[in-house]
Amino acid sequence: MAFISSGYNPDKPMEGRITDIGPRHYEEFYPAVIKKNKGQWDYHEIVKPGVLKHAALSGDVVYTVRVGGARLMSVTHVREICEIADKHCGGHLRFTTRNNVEFMVETEEALNGLIADLESRKFAGGSYKFPIGGTGACVSNIVHTQGYVHCHTPATDASGPVKAVMDEMFEYFQSMTLPAMVRISLACCLNMCGAVHCSDIGIVGIHRKPPIVEHDRLDNICEIPLAISACPTGAIKPTKVEIDGKKVNSVAVNASRCMYCGNCYTMCPAMPLASGEGDGIVLMVGGKVSNRISMPKFSKVVVAYIPNEPPRWPTLTKMIKHIVEVYAKDANKYERLGEWAERIGWEKFFELCDLEFSHHCIDDFRDPAYYTWRQSTQFKFTKHIEA
Amino acid sequence: MATVEYKGHSFEVDEDGFLQKFEDWNLEWVDYVKDSEGIKELTPEHNKVIEFLQDYYKKNGIAPMVRILSKVTGFKLKHIYELFPSGPGKGACKMAGLPKPTGCV
Repeated sequence: MAFISSGYNPDKPMEGRITDIGPRHYEEFYPAVIKKNKGQWDYHEIVKPGVLKHAALSGDVVYTVRVGGARLMSVTHVREICEIADKHCGGHLRFTTRNNVEFMVETEEALNGLIADLESRKFAGGSYKFPIGGTGACVSNIVHTQGYVHCHTPATDASGPVKAVMDEMFEYFQSMTLPAMVRISLACCLNMCGAVHCSDIGIVGIHRKPPIVEHDRLDNICEIPLAISACPTGAIKPTKVEIDGKKVNSVAVNASRCMYCGNCYTMCPAMPLASGEGDGIVLMVGGKVSNRISMPKFSKVVVAYIPNEPPRWPTLTKMIKHIVEVYAKDANKYERLGEWAERIGWEKFFELCDLEFSHHCIDDFRDPAYYTWRQSTQFKFTKHIEA
Repeated sequence: MATVEYKGHSFEVDEDGFLQKFEDWNLEWVDYVKDSEGIKELTPEHNKVIEFLQDYYKKNGIAPMVRILSKVTGFKLKHIYELFPSGPGKGACKMAGLPKPTGCV
């Protein structure tokens, strides 16, 4: 395509340049009823899965329909969202912090029209474009990352596993039958962009092999001290190697100290470590961010390795479904997954969920590891011990 | 990797236009880069920043933190942006021949 200028002049890059204007003010995009009743809301109720009703002191009501979003979406899809908003909601809509889409209307009649319209829309492949749900004690959208779509340090994909897991969890997205909400998140490497460290179920990509050191170009493209200080276990040291009779600066990796976090590759492009058969997924459970009843919790590793199985990740999805099912059956009302596991004891959690406990789950990172071991005689006998 | 020919010198660069080898750096490189970095005329202040970055890199093996760059040169970050519109990383480090900044940038 021919070049079409936006008016920017590359010869005078600073001319007419607008900076530091920040985002648009959110009030510009309020629906009228939101603007009018801001700060004056009386109560809300969940009418049915995916549909909320907020009532204001003035007597106004606003219905919100929450629909699932794939997060990664085309302009065509965004335009379709806009078309729906134009048709039913006066051109207004919003996205949630879990990347769902919310449409707001003021009357029950408009609500029914909106719901019927949303439910009728499907992709050619058959999947719902705008599935309604994600409210109350459900599995709402999965907070996830870039994966093989755009990042250079992933150990697994993001969009693929998320689609596979949500297909398996779809009934829980469209219902409110769980003891409490179950938040699932995915990060494609240990950088943990997003919320895996504080989610009921966290899916994290991991490596199992140390980095390859490209001695021939390392000193040229890396700042060696940064690569050394990037290592949490002190496995990297500076060294000199001989290449074609020439001594060059490089680094040496002590493989027995390396736990394959990949931080050094983040800092130094000459230390790649991704591997087809080595990489996979760790499953973490029991995190939460809210202060409700118990304090916020980190999620904990319960499955040390699940292989990457594109395109549907069957082992992963089966395991998650099983954990959610056992939790749904056994936990008390209002009890989050982490609260449940701590109440029954982690040994019982492993037994009920049929998870194999391996030594990988035992913390061995610095002094705080000690506090995760059991300094008590209080425990329950499980089938793990009998075996 | 691409190679740039400029005034009789050839420079090996990556897709973002950073030098692949610090030893390849010379004054022609600065002259070549300045156009793409939105710099018309090189002033002594530009040279002061470039010289300090190179000294620091040779001595320490890393690029200085922005606070150190500011403290030693005496230029506030705002002034560094006035000198190098793309900023200290993409602008000044590229001109000084340092490796491309890494991490979550």
